[in-house]
Amino acid sequence: MKQLYIILVLLAGVAFAACSKIDNYAAPGDTVTGATYDEVTGQTLQTEVGSGTRVELLEISYDSAPVPFYFYSMQDGTFNDDKVFGATYKVSVQGPFVPLIVTDSTGAVVTDSSQTIVLKNKAVLKFDVQPFLRIQWIGTPVLNPDTTVTVQVVVTRGTNNALYQLPVTDINLYVSNTQYDGNNNYDPRYSSLNSYSDSAGLAVIGDTITLTTTGGALPAQDVYFRVGARINAGLDEYNYNAPVSITYP
Amino acid sequence: MKKFGYIVLLLAALAACRKLNIPPKNIIQDEDIFTSNQGIQAYMARLYSELPLEDFRYSPARGIDFFWIISPTSATTGEALSRDQTNSMQENFGGWSWDIWGGSYTVIRDCDYFIQTLPTYASNFTAAQVQAWTAEAYFVRGMTYFGLVKRFGGVPIVNKVLNYVPGTSTDSLEIPRSSEKACWDQVDSDFTYAMNNLPAVNADYSDGSRANKYVAAAFESRAMLYAGTTAKYNNITLYDAADNQICGIPAADAAAYFQKSLNAAMTLDGVYSLYLASWSATDPNAQYQNFVNLFSDAASKENVFVREYNYPNSVHGYDAYNVPRQLIGPNGYSAETNPTLNFVEMFGGLPKNPDGTLQTLDGTGHYLLYDSTMDLFANVEPRLRGTVILPGDMFKNESIEIRRGIYTGSAAGGISPLLPAGSKAQYPTGQLVTSPTASQTPYTLPDNTLMNPAGLSGIFTGDQTCAISGFSVRKWLNPNLSVAQTLENNETQTWIEMRYAEVLLNRAEAEYELYSLGAGGAGVQSDAMTVINQIRSRAGATPWTAFGTTPIDTIRYERRKELAFENKTYWDLKRWRIFDKEQNGTIYRILMPFWSAAAGKYFFDARTDERNDVYTYNPIWYYEQLPSGAITKSTNVIQNPGY
Repeated sequence: MKQLYIILVLLAGVAFAACSKIDNYAAPGDTVTGATYDEVTGQTLQTEVGSGTRVELLEISYDSAPVPFYFYSMQDGTFNDDKVFGATYKVSVQGPFVPLIVTDSTGAVVTDSSQTIVLKNKAVLKFDVQPFLRIQWIGTPVLNPDTTVTVQVVVTRGTNNALYQLPVTDINLYVSNTQYDGNNNYDPRYSSLNSYSDSAGLAVIGDTITLTTTGGALPAQDVYFRVGARINAGLDEYNYNAPVSITYP
Repeated sequence: MKKFGYIVLLLAALAACRKLNIPPKNIIQDEDIFTSNQGIQAYMARLYSELPLEDFRYSPARGIDFFWIISPTSATTGEALSRDQTNSMQENFGGWSWDIWGGSYTVIRDCDYFIQTLPTYASNFTAAQVQAWTAEAYFVRGMTYFGLVKRFGGVPIVNKVLNYVPGTSTDSLEIPRSSEKACWDQVDSDFTYAMNNLPAVNADYSDGSRANKYVAAAFESRAMLYAGTTAKYNNITLYDAADNQICGIPAADAAAYFQKSLNAAMTLDGVYSLYLASWSATDPNAQYQNFVNLFSDAASKENVFVREYNYPNSVHGYDAYNVPRQLIGPNGYSAETNPTLNFVEMFGGLPKNPDGTLQTLDGTGHYLLYDSTMDLFANVEPRLRGTVILPGDMFKNESIEIRRGIYTGSAAGGISPLLPAGSKAQYPTGQLVTSPTASQTPYTLPDNTLMNPAGLSGIFTGDQTCAISGFSVRKWLNPNLSVAQTLENNETQTWIEMRYAEVLLNRAEAEYELYSLGAGGAGVQSDAMTVINQIRSRAGATPWTAFGTTPIDTIRYERRKELAFENKTYWDLKRWRIFDKEQNGTIYRILMPFWSAAAGKYFFDARTDERNDVYTYNPIWYYEQLPSGAITKSTNVIQNPGY
C-alpha cells in the first residue's frame, strides 16, 4: 500500500512537471494606429463598423507572399490595434475608395501606395485616399410637423480617376437609435432606401438631394441619421457622411 | 523449469514476428475491390453518395448531407420566408458537418485513384464495363470540380493521386489555385469525356441514379451556362502572383461557353421529354395534378438524374419540416418554407396593379371582398398551385386554412386599408381579433356562429410555426404520407437533381445569350421562344408571342418559376450577379387574408414581412471565403477578395 502511494506521488510529480512547460513567446504588444483621410478635405473617411474600411498587414519579414492579417477601422476612419507582433509589415487600407494597389487587366501592379513599416512599439500611419463619393450634409435635419425627419445632402465625386466615374446606384438615409448607423445597422421601418437607374445615377451627382424618413412618425427616443451612397465598384461598399442626431422639442 | 518456460515463450514470440509482413487483414485491398463487379458497385456507391448535390439534405446554413433543414435554401433567395432564416446569407462553411474543401478533394482523389487503378485490373471485366466505369469516375470528378468552382472560382486542379513520402518536402503537394477559366475548362473536359464514353443507358442502374451520356450532357449544359454567365456578368477579379486570373473569366470567352451549353442541351432532344402523363390541354386541374405528380412518378421521362434514398440508411425529412401547420407531424416541425408574395406575383392569372403587384384594392381604395380565399386565385396558372399551397386550397383532403385574423370594424361603404400604403408598422389592434398560438379562443360572429380568429395553419401572432407569409410550400410534399409518418429522418422520396425542364431552360437561356452577343447563328432566338413555350404550355400558362422589352428577364423569370424550391434559384441569382440587386435592403412581401365579420367576406392585405427582416446580399459573397484550413495547409492557396 505504501509502495502504491509512493508510485502515485511520483506519477503526480511527473504529470505536474509536464504542465510546467509554458509558451514562453511574449504576447504581441506593439501598436498600429492611424487613420484613412480624404485627400481633398483632409478629414477622416467615414465608414461602417465591422464591414467598412479595413487595414491589411502583410508580414514580409519572412515570406514574400504571407497570409494577410486584417483588422477593421472604426466608424470615423481611425484605426488602432495594440496587439500586433513587432515585425516588418506592408500596410494598406481597403474600402470604398480608389485602391492603393492598382493592377492592370493581366494582374501586373501599376501603382502601389501601400506603406512598409518596421513595427517597434508603435507606428502611426496616415493614408490619403480618393473616396468614390463624398456625401455632405446641407443644413441640419428638420423635424416635420408629422414627426418625420427630412435631411438634405449633396453627393459629389471624390476622384477624377476615369475608371470610377460610374453612376450612383443607391443613396440611402439610414435611421438608427445608435450612432453606429449604416448599411449593416439601421431601422428598416424608418430608413429611406433609394436605388437609381444608370442615367439618374449620373444626373444626381452634385444635386441637392432631399430625403425624408418613411413609415410615419418617429418614436420619441434617440435617433441618429446618416446618408450612405455607393457606385458599383470594388466591393460595392458605401461612402457615408458623419452621423447626426436630433433632439425632440 | 521456470527458465525453460521463458525460453519457450521467447521462441514463440520470435516465431510470431516472421508472419507480420503481410497486407493488413482489416484494410480492404485493391484486389478486393477491383476484381469483382460487387467491388466496383461498392466503390461507385461511395462516389455517388459523396456527390456534392444540393438535395433534400442541403441548406446554406448547415451544408451538404445534413438532416436538419430549418433554414431552407429558398428562405435565402426571396422565394420564401422561414422563421429560422431572417436575412441574406452566404454558405456557412464553418457550420457544415461535411467539409466542402476536404470532402470535395477526397472525392476527387477517389475518382483519380479509380481512374488510375482500374486499368491494372481490366482483365476481370469487359471492355465496355471498364470504359463506362472510368467515364463515370470522370463524371463524378467533373461534378465535384463544378461544386468547387461555382463557390470559390479557381481552385487547385489535382488530376492524379498525390503520394506523400514521409520525411520528404511537402512543397510539391502545395498546389496553387488554377485560374477560374481553367477550372471551368476542367469541368468541361471531365463531362465531355463522360459524354463520349458513357452508354446511352447505364448498364448497372438505368433508373437515372447513375450517369449515362445524357446525364453528363445535361450537367455540361448547366455548368457551361454557369461559366458563360460568370464570364459575362462578373466584375470581381483576383490575380495571383503569376498573373493567373483566380476569380473572373474574360468576357470574350462568354460566347464559347454559351455555345457549349447549347450544344450539350441539344443532345437530349428527343431522348427525354417533359412529363405529361396526366396533362390535358384544356383542363387546368389536370395541368395542376400533372405538375404535382411529376415530382413523384419514377417512370417520368423528365427525370434525367436523381438521388434515391433508402430507409433507414439514407433518409430525409422534407415533409416533416414543410407541411402546413394543421398537418404537423409527431416531431413538432411544420411550415418552415412559406413562399413570399414576391414569388407568387411572378405567376399569371392573378389580378394585378399596373406596377405588376397583386391587386387587393378596388378603384375607390377599399379592399376587394371574396366569399372564399381561393376566389382570388380562381384563374391562376396551374403551376402555381402545384408549387405553393394557396390559402384555402386542398391538400391531403383538407382545406388548408390560412387567416391572419377577424376584422370587427364596419364594412359599410367599403373597408379601408388597415395601414397606409408602404407602411412597415404593426397592424393596429383595435378592430382586429387575432390569435397568438394554435390554441385558439373562438370569436362569436354577428350571426352567432363561432370562428377561430386565425386559420388552422396560421397566422399566429405569438409564434411563427405557421404560414408567416400567407402561403405554404406545395412542391415535393408527398400527398400520401400520413400525419403519423410525417417525421424527420423517415422519408425516402427521390430527389430529382436534373430534369429535362431545366435542360430546356438552359437551352433557351444559352440561345438568348448567344443572340444578344451576336453569335449562335440564325434561329436561336426563335428556338428559345419555342422551348420556353413548351414549358409554359405544360405549366398551363399562356404562351408567349413576344419576349417583351427585357427578354433575358422573361427567360429568367420562367426559370425561377419552374425550378422554384429545387435549390437552383440560389445559384442562378449568384451567377447572374443580381443577388445584390434583388437583396438590397429588401423586405419581402406577404399576403394576409382577413375575415370581415361585418361583411361576412374575406379581404387580403398585401404588405411587407411583419418581422421587418431585411435582406442585404454582400457582393463579396459571389466568391465564397476559402476555409482557413485550406490556406494554412498550403501557403500557395490564396484567399478570395474581401475576406
